[in-house]
Amino acid sequence: MERFPLKSSVPKMGTTYQSVYKKGVSTTNGRSVHSPSEDDMVDITPGCGAAGLQQAADTTPTNHGTFQLYEHSSRNSTASPNSYIAQYFSSSAGDAIIFSGMQDDDIPGIGQYDDFHTIDWQRDIARDRMRHRYIVKKRQDSILDLIKGAHDAWSGWVCVLLVGVCTGVVAGVIDIGASWMTDLKFGICRQAFWFNREQCCWSSNETTFDHGNCSQWLTWPQMFGESREGPGAYIISYIFYIGWALVFAALSASLVRMFAPYACGSGIPEIKTILSGFIIRGYLGKWTLIIKVVGLILSVSSGLSLGKEGPMVHIASCLGNILSYLFPKYGRNEAKKREILSAAAAAGVSVAFGAPIGGVLFSLEEVSYYFPLKTLWRSFFCALIAAFILRSINPFGNEHSVLFFVEYNKPWIFFELIPFVGLGIIGGCIATIFIKANIYWCRYRKYSKLGQYPVTEVLVVTLLTAVIAYPNPYTRMNTSQLIYLLFNQCGISNSDPLCDYNRNFTDVNSAIEKAAAEAGVYRAIWQLVLALAVKLVMTVFTFGIKVPCGLFIPSLALGAIAGRIVGIGVEQLAYHYPKIWLFSGECSTGDDCITPGLYAMVGAAAVLGGVTRMTVSLVVIMFELTGGVRYIVPLMAAAMASKWVGDALGRQGIYDAHIALNGYPFLDSKDEFQHTSLAADVMQPKRNETLAVITQDSMTVDDVETLLKETEHNGYPVVVSKESQYLVGFVLRRDLNLAIANARRTIEGITGQSVVVFAGAGNPPTGPPPCLPLNRILDMAPITVTDQTPMETVVDMFRKLGLRQTLVTHNGRLLGVITKKDVLRHVKQMDNEDPNSVLFN
Amino acid sequence: MYLKYILIFLSGVIIVTGQSYEDKRCKCVCPSPAAVLNNTAGSDRRLYIANVPPNKCNCDGVILPRVGADIKGREQEFCPRCECKYENRNTTIIKVVVIIVIWVIMLLVVYMGFLICLDPLINKRAKASYQEHTNEDDESTVGGPSQPMGARGNVLNRVTHQQDKWKRQVREQRRNIYDRHTMLN
Repeated sequence: MERFPLKSSVPKMGTTYQSVYKKGVSTTNGRSVHSPSEDDMVDITPGCGAAGLQQAADTTPTNHGTFQLYEHSSRNSTASPNSYIAQYFSSSAGDAIIFSGMQDDDIPGIGQYDDFHTIDWQRDIARDRMRHRYIVKKRQDSILDLIKGAHDAWSGWVCVLLVGVCTGVVAGVIDIGASWMTDLKFGICRQAFWFNREQCCWSSNETTFDHGNCSQWLTWPQMFGESREGPGAYIISYIFYIGWALVFAALSASLVRMFAPYACGSGIPEIKTILSGFIIRGYLGKWTLIIKVVGLILSVSSGLSLGKEGPMVHIASCLGNILSYLFPKYGRNEAKKREILSAAAAAGVSVAFGAPIGGVLFSLEEVSYYFPLKTLWRSFFCALIAAFILRSINPFGNEHSVLFFVEYNKPWIFFELIPFVGLGIIGGCIATIFIKANIYWCRYRKYSKLGQYPVTEVLVVTLLTAVIAYPNPYTRMNTSQLIYLLFNQCGISNSDPLCDYNRNFTDVNSAIEKAAAEAGVYRAIWQLVLALAVKLVMTVFTFGIKVPCGLFIPSLALGAIAGRIVGIGVEQLAYHYPKIWLFSGECSTGDDCITPGLYAMVGAAAVLGGVTRMTVSLVVIMFELTGGVRYIVPLMAAAMASKWVGDALGRQGIYDAHIALNGYPFLDSKDEFQHTSLAADVMQPKRNETLAVITQDSMTVDDVETLLKETEHNGYPVVVSKESQYLVGFVLRRDLNLAIANARRTIEGITGQSVVVFAGAGNPPTGPPPCLPLNRILDMAPITVTDQTPMETVVDMFRKLGLRQTLVTHNGRLLGVITKKDVLRHVKQMDNEDPNSVLFN
Repeated sequence: MYLKYILIFLSGVIIVTGQSYEDKRCKCVCPSPAAVLNNTAGSDRRLYIANVPPNKCNCDGVILPRVGADIKGREQEFCPRCECKYENRNTTIIKVVVIIVIWVIMLLVVYMGFLICLDPLINKRAKASYQEHTNEDDESTVGGPSQPMGARGNVLNRVTHQQDKWKRQVREQRRNIYDRHTMLN
């Protein structure tokens, strides 16, 4: 018994937290009429004398209010004392914990949140813990309960399995649909309209590298009786290209506007915010999913400078959210649901790049906030399943789940690290230009009249993109194809002008030797430079328009173009001066020692790394794309250099910048709080204002309702009395509303004069209006700090514990409240930004 | 309602089963045989596609049967310059997916047209009853599970109910994004 100094003399009392707690409560209330030695039946329930409240009187509030411990004295307490749980519960005389989600007569809606509110991680996780204990305890009762327990145990894995399967299928649909619709801009397959150009010419022998056209593939000029080539055909193709692009973009924008406005944009900033514990109702719903999928196919096909990778993360998260409702364990608990969403985000990246491990790391590094090991394994499994399903669908016919998969195993020489780092620096600069320009444009859109014409804006951007893009073959083609082309090395099968080297393929012994670039390569370089400029400018204007759009593919393309140009430069340097010390003789043998495709890859990683500020996951994604670990060092060097340059030139990555622009309540765990303010400076109420509190057992229903009407706080501290301000607990506004409404419906005789009793057992009011016990919704373990606590500590608590609010005390008396909103505003204020831009309800 | 669409969709699938395409191919790219014979550096390349098993997807299995006569005796020189790749696909999946995508887009467009053109007319007529529904809905959201509704007529009611709720949500989303610009800028 020495281990439990709080224990008193009754040895039967179990060695549990619960009993210590009960006693603690009874004493801290200070107004208990029971003597503390009455350990066995410490009665801390409100002293409601009214009849018909037996059930409520039986309950004991536990630390988080929404679940209770019912005590049934009839049951034997000594059953199976071996198990931990049994021991846990042996203190009270046999019992069952009822948690809110499973009980019929519980107040509906408790434990859920309103739109645009932050969740309370601690409370939700505690709720889940209680639910779990209940199931584990019940397991011994019957076979059915055992099965229920087993189902509960594996439901997480089943849920992520389903998420993975659905994500893979949806990704396959998007890939196939988008590739077909993209080629619809150029023509149609004569005999089977559902094929894209490559599939149409699948078994045709006659392809003579005339842009992959064959006789089955009917281009639009041919439809009008023109020939395949010539000025007339060019004009007709041009017009059709623009026309289809406009049709697709208009459809996408109006579907988004009509059915699901939340489907626009990339979604990653919002997913980040949601995963950090924010509620945006409908953001992960059914309609958002459908419209995002369809709109994504349409907007990718319209040839806009956007990609499908970011929206894939959103789509996967929608699937995760929808499927989690099949399992109440996750569907009804927002904190637990976020574990599934983290796994779903991993699956989204996994199918977008065919990189399962990269997806897991992306989820860990970029989007997730709370990522325990259990979630890591689930994410791994989910990403694996999704990649497997997509791979079985085989949407591109190349046995891989991305179009731009390339296989490399060429060596690189040590000297090349210098151009790789140089590429990293270039990538960082391009990324910074992009982020700054895009944020400037988005801010302009937000505050100017431009924002009132979302569909018109989409159409104008599409028109400009199509008109500018068509003449240049590198911007005309699908961006994924462009990336594939740039990543690829020049071989026999590659007939693009980029590979117009003075090589003859007659020398059998060396497959590809280095060679002088011919006119075609130089022309291609000029076109690529133009393409780089056009893509950069168009992407700035595209990211943020009201269609589903991601920016992985455009940034990869930007980097790949820059990288390929640098690569060709280094290659020609090595060809013309093979003897200089830089190449240390490795290039003198006539072998092809420099691979421009590798530079394209490194450049792509650099720009993407600069834009998103990812490092580890980016490198893993890139090497999973190329199927070789040999290039990890070049990729790491470039990613690091690009991150440094990016961090030096501009503080935030694009997602963080968009979170700041929108004012989402995201408390970044990467930033440090470096100011010296104290909790007392931040807390509400400020000077000369009074703190709205509820007393534990002296306010009537009318008083409480008046308080609810007059103030707009989302929660109220409960104190012993207004004079003493000793803290009892914390109650949420939503719970209070629901509980009062519920009580008015279910309990007889509740009037405005009924006394609301949260805790304590003062002098039970006797008389006709029965009192209203609300101990079930009272959180009796609110986190408190003193007023002298440095804000650094408070911010850390908010970040690491995922708090929603903390109470500030002084000399043990309640002084004020700090909510997450106050913290975010304070951080903004300290950084000299507008504190009113934080989005909150 | 949906059953009908599914039927139409299925019949669509059956009708469009036109010419059959193969699911597998071996694709080889080679320089033209003239490059070997005349030692000229030519950039024109030839494509050879054949339907052979994967282990036959190489120069011997695909190219030599066709050009063997032209390059007689110089196979050892010609073959290393060819690249052969075995590829497969599933035409059924592609067909089904593309047709589903077309159908979904058409359905959505039709529904959008309905909501834009016809719905305001219908709603104007049913304004009074609509008001009732919203009140009832408010009550049920606050007051927990609504009592089980009656038989057939109420199924329609419930559908309209859900639709109204959804419309309200979308209106709210639209206000957030397009008017107040508080999100997703």
